[in-house]
Amino acid sequence: MSIRLFGYQDKILLLQHGSTELLALAQRRGAQLHKLLSGTSIFEQDLHKPHGRLHHNDWLKLLQNCQQQLNSPELPYLLGNALLNNHYISLCQSLQYAQNLHQALAQLYYFRHQLFPCFYARLSQQQHCIIIEFKPALGLASQQAFMLTAVISLLLGLVKQQLGTVAGISLQLQQAASHQLQHQLHWGVDVSFNRSLDCISIPLALWQQVFTDANTLKFNAARRTCRQLNHVLSKQRALPESICRLQHRALPQLLNQDQVAAELGLSSSSLKRQLNQHNTNFATLLDEVRRDAARQLLQQGHYSNRQLALKLGYSDEHNFRRAFKRWTGLIPSSFKGMFNFN
Amino acid sequence: MWRQHRYKMLFSLLLLLSGLLLAIDIGSAKHSNEFDWLDILGEGTTLLVACGWLGLIISSRPAGRITEWLYYGSLLLVYSYFLDLLDEFIRYPEHIRLMSWLESLPAPVGMLVLTYGLIGWHREQRAINRQLRGRELFLRDHQLIDPLTQLYGIEYLQAVLQREIELHQSQHKALGLLVLDIDNFAEFNRQYGIANGDAYLGQLSELLSNQLRHSDVVCRYAGDRFIALLPNTALAQTNIMAQHLRQQLSQLSVESSRPQLTLVEMAVQQDNAQSALHAADQAMALAKKTATHKLQPI
Repeated sequence: MSIRLFGYQDKILLLQHGSTELLALAQRRGAQLHKLLSGTSIFEQDLHKPHGRLHHNDWLKLLQNCQQQLNSPELPYLLGNALLNNHYISLCQSLQYAQNLHQALAQLYYFRHQLFPCFYARLSQQQHCIIIEFKPALGLASQQAFMLTAVISLLLGLVKQQLGTVAGISLQLQQAASHQLQHQLHWGVDVSFNRSLDCISIPLALWQQVFTDANTLKFNAARRTCRQLNHVLSKQRALPESICRLQHRALPQLLNQDQVAAELGLSSSSLKRQLNQHNTNFATLLDEVRRDAARQLLQQGHYSNRQLALKLGYSDEHNFRRAFKRWTGLIPSSFKGMFNFN
Repeated sequence: MWRQHRYKMLFSLLLLLSGLLLAIDIGSAKHSNEFDWLDILGEGTTLLVACGWLGLIISSRPAGRITEWLYYGSLLLVYSYFLDLLDEFIRYPEHIRLMSWLESLPAPVGMLVLTYGLIGWHREQRAINRQLRGRELFLRDHQLIDPLTQLYGIEYLQAVLQREIELHQSQHKALGLLVLDIDNFAEFNRQYGIANGDAYLGQLSELLSNQLRHSDVVCRYAGDRFIALLPNTALAQTNIMAQHLRQQLSQLSVESSRPQLTLVEMAVQQDNAQSALHAADQAMALAKKTATHKLQPI
């Protein structure tokens, strides 16, 4: 595999792609820079270097410091918008010059290691909308909600700017409804809480609608800059994400730890050790992949439990039913009724 | 805050040091079997607490007249307690009374100075409260203040609104509400940058809390929406307030780069905060659609 893997200690985040914006926002709200940076390995003078970097441990600490210093619930929403409109991030510039949402999102997804390496997405289609499911590529601990809010704010901000409306878009979130009011005020879309996944559903009609600022020349120029940045910041993926992808692709076969390690070019013991750093293990990830696949299959069509068990690599129907009950607390047939966007 | 008080701290250290040197010069050390540990514990604790006060004063107060009074009052106390502790370890000759004077005199003087400072603090706090009026009503909870605009946020608004609705209904008085929204603030942020957007929000909130009466309270309801609560104000009066505010606000939006604002007024007739805020949102949505209440830059 040519793509490199990163962990919490790998400096793969650019300071200019998020941290400086976050710090500026927090400072204007009265937080002190040295307190925001305390506990991280970032120095004040690094903040102005064009290619200064930080790793995920620092980023998570930074987010935590911000929330400790300030009681400002608008921070993740503003961060998303600030990133979108930042003139120094060519990726975000390119999004605005794209032809349509399809091109913009494809671009964002291809270069996501430059902006949000901590998430990956899975697409599926349902009736008249496309559903983008957000999965954390590595453990984000208590900051997952913050980061997700920032990503969604960026997406909704882009749609609002370029298409003028967010009508028809809806969200499902895993978190409890505590931020309902803030979401409502900042996003203006339907949000349902306590769901089994984090996803955004965008109507097909918006998907191909031409952006107001669409400009092929500028888009290509910005994309070239993104490509150049790739030389400095090569494409990297987090280990849990890579494992989930491999497993997902292999279904209904199940790969064992040695096979996956070989596929990723790691030794079995180092795979285990690295997963330990991500606070997860091989069996948990496999279980997660099967859970997501089961949900996706149920959502797509009418499979019997036997077919589902076969597709997910369970030895028999009974085992599948038991696993499903463990994931959702429901039996598969009653879950089908629940999973409905409308 | 510490940096403002550097000389004060240096002076205090020198003062304590001179006390120590003087005591060592005059007296002679006691034997360890003469120590009264209970006394040492009691006096040591008193000294530590007084030092703690000094630290709190230095770290929490800006330089100024009242701070000086508070500081030097506490310093005299610390000095007195310090010498008090020293004489547990050092014995002074009978005929020299200087040390016992130095030990007992500064404490009462310090107490007087400290009391004077506290009276000043009380006056200062009253002035600050006057300044704060219009930003808060009956509840104080600094955790709910929005750090950017220094106005209270939505949780505070809900709590206060609920209480005011109940009060006004029981007394059959009218409660007014003003809702101010920045049109297309996202676009403004995009064009001029979020830093400018934040600065504009600061100006706007300053103007709002200055232009309303002392009994009114302004809250930041959402990123770009402010709500002012006008207790004991009938709709006619609310209208006048809104008209006044529109004039003031149109001066703010003289520069063409300023975003337009929408202001709506309403009388609260709902019997809980949630439905009142919902009605306010709807009134705002309607006003935006019909666009009759728009504030045009002059």
